[in-house]
Amino acid sequence: MLDTRDKPVPAPTPGIEIKEADILEAMRAIPGYLDITPGDFKEVYRLAFQHALERLSREITAAEIMTTDVVTVAPDTPVAEVAAAMGRRGVSGVPVVDAGQKVVGVISEKDFLTRMGVKEPMNFMTLVANCLMTKGCVALPIKATLATDIMNTPAVTVPPDTPVKDIAALLTQSGINRVAVTGPDGRLLGLVSRGDIIRATMGRAAP
Amino acid sequence: MMGAYFRKMAGSNQSPPRVSLEEIFWSWLGAFLGIGAVAYMNYGWLDGTGLFLLIGSLGASAVLIYGAIKSPLAQPRNFLGGHVISALIGVTAFKLLAPHLWLAATLAVAVSIAVMHATKTLHPPGGATALIAVISGPQVTSLGYFYVLMPVAAGALVMLAVALIVNNLAPRRRYPEFWW
Repeated sequence: MLDTRDKPVPAPTPGIEIKEADILEAMRAIPGYLDITPGDFKEVYRLAFQHALERLSREITAAEIMTTDVVTVAPDTPVAEVAAAMGRRGVSGVPVVDAGQKVVGVISEKDFLTRMGVKEPMNFMTLVANCLMTKGCVALPIKATLATDIMNTPAVTVPPDTPVKDIAALLTQSGINRVAVTGPDGRLLGLVSRGDIIRATMGRAAP
Repeated sequence: MMGAYFRKMAGSNQSPPRVSLEEIFWSWLGAFLGIGAVAYMNYGWLDGTGLFLLIGSLGASAVLIYGAIKSPLAQPRNFLGGHVISALIGVTAFKLLAPHLWLAATLAVAVSIAVMHATKTLHPPGGATALIAVISGPQVTSLGYFYVLMPVAAGALVMLAVALIVNNLAPRRRYPEFWW
């Protein structure tokens, strides 16, 4: 048998761990005798907080938080134009759609880095280091390629009624930063990024 | 297995903080006026009539309705419901089981707790009210079910009236949290 007292109670959200000292302070601030131990209150708080988070993420769906003003590229868009479009809009990923607005793939910054021979870890600073140590531009090897050559396919997509909770799990499990939201016909409706999820959850959770 | 069982007896929580002096004062004043009212009626008006109003369990109730007024246990539903239900059960236990007083006393308290739980009227002094109905001798047992009305319900109503008046005089107090 394990003694649960000695194990730290897992916080509902990392970084939001209420301490019994906080509870004692709060109880002192409320006039009158409160008929509960700080430990029991903490348990109530923990479960209630968990419940609230679950309820919020269950209630919000992809359709409510997705960005609909999405920059897209075609499969035959040259990567130079893809990069320019991403830079202009300040996004780190774009869906690739065919003539019928069907999502055929997604291109993210990481796909550029991979094709440019950037070694692990594939991030911007590794690229900067590469640039500084070589002559010329490391992007040159992919100059002639098209969107279809570097995109991730098939794209990870979700229907518009997907709960945010499931999207968060999907992003974490797949190690990606955004999913395309598509209708039953596969046409692009919008994009949900990690930022959209955070904005939506914080906005709803605030009193 | 056994280790975990015995470790549970060590306790793993801490005591709530001490209340302010202000809170102690209002608790004292409420109990003084509440028990004072019931005791004055008991000794001043009812002396020699064979009737009485003051029973021990009202002292226990005073702790809750003047000293821990936010507690669910101290709300009117629990306070009145717990006393009346327990009184009924106590008198019934005596009527059914006397002269087996040990069994009547035992069941009076145990059944009272169960029924108070089931009716959401848990009020600890109710257990004493049920016990008093069994163990107090002819002065109480001769009342029969009248015990439920007086001293129990009448005494509790006087205490509740004082709780409503005095607790709400305090600037930082509010009573009750809920009626029903």
